[in-house]
Amino acid sequence: MIKNYFTIAFRNIRRYGTHSLLNITGLAIALAACLVIFLVLQHERSYDQYHANASRVFQIVKKEVKDGNEEFYSGVAFPARKALSNDFPQVQFTQFFVSNGSQITVLDQENKITNQKFIEETGVFFSEPNFTDFFDLIWIAGQPEILNQPGMVAISRSKAEKYFGSVERAMGKSILFDNQIRLQVAGIFNDPPTNTDFNFQIVPSYQTFLSNSGVWGFEDAIDGWGLSTSNHQVYALIPERTTADQINSQMGTFVKKYYRPEAASKTFHSLHPLKEIHFDTRFGNNGTHVTSKASLNTLLLIGVLILLMACINFVNLSTALAAKRSKEIGIRKVIGGTRSQLRAQLITETFLLVLFSSVIALLLSWIALPYLKYITDIQEKLKLLNPGSFLFLFSVILITSVLSGFYPAFVLSNFKPIAAIKNKINTSTYAGLSLRRILVVLQFSFSQLLVIATIIAISQMSFIRNADLGFSKDATLLLTGSSDSVTIARQTGFRAELKKIPEVQQVSFSFDAPSSDNNWTSNFAFDHKTEDQPFDAHIKMADEAYAETFGLKLLAGTFYSDADSVQKVVINETMSQKLGMKNPQEAIGKTMKLGLQDWLPIVGVVKDFKNNSLRETVKPTIILRTRNRASTYMSQTNIKLKTSNPGKVLGKIEQLWNTHYPEYAFSASFLDESINDFYQQEERLSRLYKVFAILAIIISSLGLYGLISFMAIQKTKEVGIRKVLGASVSNIVLLFSKEFTILILVAFALAAPVAWYLMNAWLQNFVFKITIGWWIFAIAILTSILIAWATVGYKAIRAALANPVTSLKTE
Amino acid sequence: MIKLEHISKWVNQGNNRIFLLKDININIGEGEFISIMGPSGSGKSTLLNVIGMLDSADEGSYFFNDQPVHTLKEKQRSLLYKQHIGFVFQAYHLIDELTVYENIETPLLYQDTKSADRKAMVGDMLDRFNIVGKKDLFPANLSGGQQQLVGIARALIAKPKLILADEPTGNLNSKQGEEIMEIFTQLNKEEGVTIIQVTHSEKNAAYGNRIINLLDGRIEHNR
Repeated sequence: MIKNYFTIAFRNIRRYGTHSLLNITGLAIALAACLVIFLVLQHERSYDQYHANASRVFQIVKKEVKDGNEEFYSGVAFPARKALSNDFPQVQFTQFFVSNGSQITVLDQENKITNQKFIEETGVFFSEPNFTDFFDLIWIAGQPEILNQPGMVAISRSKAEKYFGSVERAMGKSILFDNQIRLQVAGIFNDPPTNTDFNFQIVPSYQTFLSNSGVWGFEDAIDGWGLSTSNHQVYALIPERTTADQINSQMGTFVKKYYRPEAASKTFHSLHPLKEIHFDTRFGNNGTHVTSKASLNTLLLIGVLILLMACINFVNLSTALAAKRSKEIGIRKVIGGTRSQLRAQLITETFLLVLFSSVIALLLSWIALPYLKYITDIQEKLKLLNPGSFLFLFSVILITSVLSGFYPAFVLSNFKPIAAIKNKINTSTYAGLSLRRILVVLQFSFSQLLVIATIIAISQMSFIRNADLGFSKDATLLLTGSSDSVTIARQTGFRAELKKIPEVQQVSFSFDAPSSDNNWTSNFAFDHKTEDQPFDAHIKMADEAYAETFGLKLLAGTFYSDADSVQKVVINETMSQKLGMKNPQEAIGKTMKLGLQDWLPIVGVVKDFKNNSLRETVKPTIILRTRNRASTYMSQTNIKLKTSNPGKVLGKIEQLWNTHYPEYAFSASFLDESINDFYQQEERLSRLYKVFAILAIIISSLGLYGLISFMAIQKTKEVGIRKVLGASVSNIVLLFSKEFTILILVAFALAAPVAWYLMNAWLQNFVFKITIGWWIFAIAILTSILIAWATVGYKAIRAALANPVTSLKTE
Repeated sequence: MIKLEHISKWVNQGNNRIFLLKDININIGEGEFISIMGPSGSGKSTLLNVIGMLDSADEGSYFFNDQPVHTLKEKQRSLLYKQHIGFVFQAYHLIDELTVYENIETPLLYQDTKSADRKAMVGDMLDRFNIVGKKDLFPANLSGGQQQLVGIARALIAKPKLILADEPTGNLNSKQGEEIMEIFTQLNKEEGVTIIQVTHSEKNAAYGNRIINLLDGRIEHNR
């Protein structure tokens, strides 16, 4: 019986070729989209869930309440680890010092520097030996205990192969960290899987950090509770049958015990679950990205919508086909087929179509997966076939078959046999058309929702790209330098040589660019007041050429100069306003005091520039030079170029670098690119919208085409009569288009407010944003109508051109 | 075998009730060969559909083998006709997507006949109508007469006691028509299958042993 169902299904699929093609195409696209979305969700949701103790591991995080604002930090003060172990003896703790952008130099047998220099952006964790109780790691040589001693490092298999060629050769060899710390390789472990934010690659002992904290400028901070950096993190492994809340409730006492009273009143510590770290945008993580649950849900919603649209298509096309198939159904009933048998047959057909579609979908997603990195944060290639995806595909096939197969099967199997045989089934016999109208409206609502969202996302992104940042970002090269004194000492010579290159316009040294993701803040006092200002100042450490290199505009006063004998500062417009100055000029000559430094005179006010991404407001900012001209705080070299083709110059600059800093790896980036990186997530999101909006349009067009085909059959007689009565081709085409235009308008009325609401919420992520103009909606509705007309047009014109004599005869 | 008492069927058009069948009383015994005749619109097909349980009457009682069909639920009714009735149509009504073999086999599938039995039964049927060579062809490749043979084979495959034929020769030329009539006669005589046919042709009607004439939904004259 089943075999028979399958044969018949096959033949029916062949016989109604166009119909099957529409169905299969639409469904395959949707299934592929769903499968890809599933893989993304599966991957994202699996982050750091695999550790054996994952549910008992928590990060100690900090919240500070300042000025009524809550600020969240993933780093804690250096002494916290010891104090916590002391006060919570039942809990196991471990700490990391995470180093970013470190240079690793491979040493040879005699511990001499080789030419192998690597910048390791991430993956360096100075760790205590017990960290493997918290995070799963498979050791293939050595053991965690080596991390008890300073100067020891464990590295991943891939790094061992990269540095030394093989695991065997790596053991016992040495590497030089940031040209300053020699580390002996005493342990090797397998690379962590891709779904972790703790991508351990180079794991020196925490002891190494402690005895070298000066390298990072932390020698004074190591015993204090005043400073915390996100690079220093503490994790807790709580005993079974203990809850995080039990520990959290005692954190208040802990804070009071160790912090200064004025800090204790605004500082809160709590346990943040390891399993949540990947999803919490408040704290950030050590991995490549944070994915909020909200964006995962958006993706899920898009997936469900796309699948629903495809199912709707299926129902639409199948019930439309019912008219054509009624004879077959009638005969089957007469020769003894029961309703349930017919339903089984029809569902089998649906199932087969869905099965076909999923095979094509698998192929499509296989093709699509490598492109995933352009629209999501997932940079590694996902495995298409895994137990999860199989289970998913299986259930989607089942759900889709039921969702899209049941209604048509129900309608068809309920036909009265005699009427069915005589082809007397029409709209009046079953209420198919109005249902289909509702479904088409739904479909169009979905696709318009996505279209509107896409237009808004795209215009916001182009607004950001073209926004005035308050400084010039073109043709500016940033070289990352090391912060040791050797490097700094050679800066003057390096600059002099750089300036000899004709294409180089200006060179400056600074801590960072005007826009960067650094957030260096400090409390400060103004105008000889004893009290600190209630808000913190953003600090930009820079030399005198900074303003010229980045094209900062002065509103009043001057920039400090090389000739200054005393330290002077420049502030931005926002700072001047926040200090209550009526105009920038008023601020000139006033003084400020950062922390415990001297009173420094304000010599200039610059026009506001964007400190961070456009998601954030402009911060009150102080630009100053460090007291001693050469400082570890100004390790970045900024080079403004005259040329629009920097490719050639780049080579010359690298040569210069290598002669001045032979022991340091060359790492350069262009300012405009690093600024674009701020918006990578948004950029990808808008691409993601684009892709799915196009898919949605394709799917709904397929559905519309199916529906219009059905209407063309239904209206054959009406069209014939109208033509006999003298209707023109355009009259007939209008007859078809009118209804769909109305349906689209209804869909638009549903979609527009929802889209406005959702995208308005999204725009709230940005401080600098577009206003959602009426033209966005106008474009959306016009595109929809145009696409619908294009879809309807062919069938409508064909129906209109049909010879009325034949169309009337067949009735 | 079949007993119709005061069977009426109508449609309402505005305030008027238009009768398709009015007060039909028929008794048909097992082994009869009945021809129903009458002009277009006289209710022949409607009567046949009521007898075939594809349609139900609005009034009156219908006993099939002493079972009160008019009181049965649809499911029981379809079970009943599945077992006992085979249909033959003027337009053959073969399923276009199925081969000759599969068309004949389908009723057995719906009755859950075992695969081996099906094979044998369909094989017999193909032999009997001399269409073994055509078993893998689709209806579109057959002549009208051949299609009707397949239609009859399909009607007979489940060994029904009653064959209902709605103008079985209406689309055929006279020679093919005669062949079909011969087959019906043979079935009726040799296997005792009860046959009720609707026909326009006096000649075909004469094959039967009784003719029921319908006019405007009433039995005009019962010979």
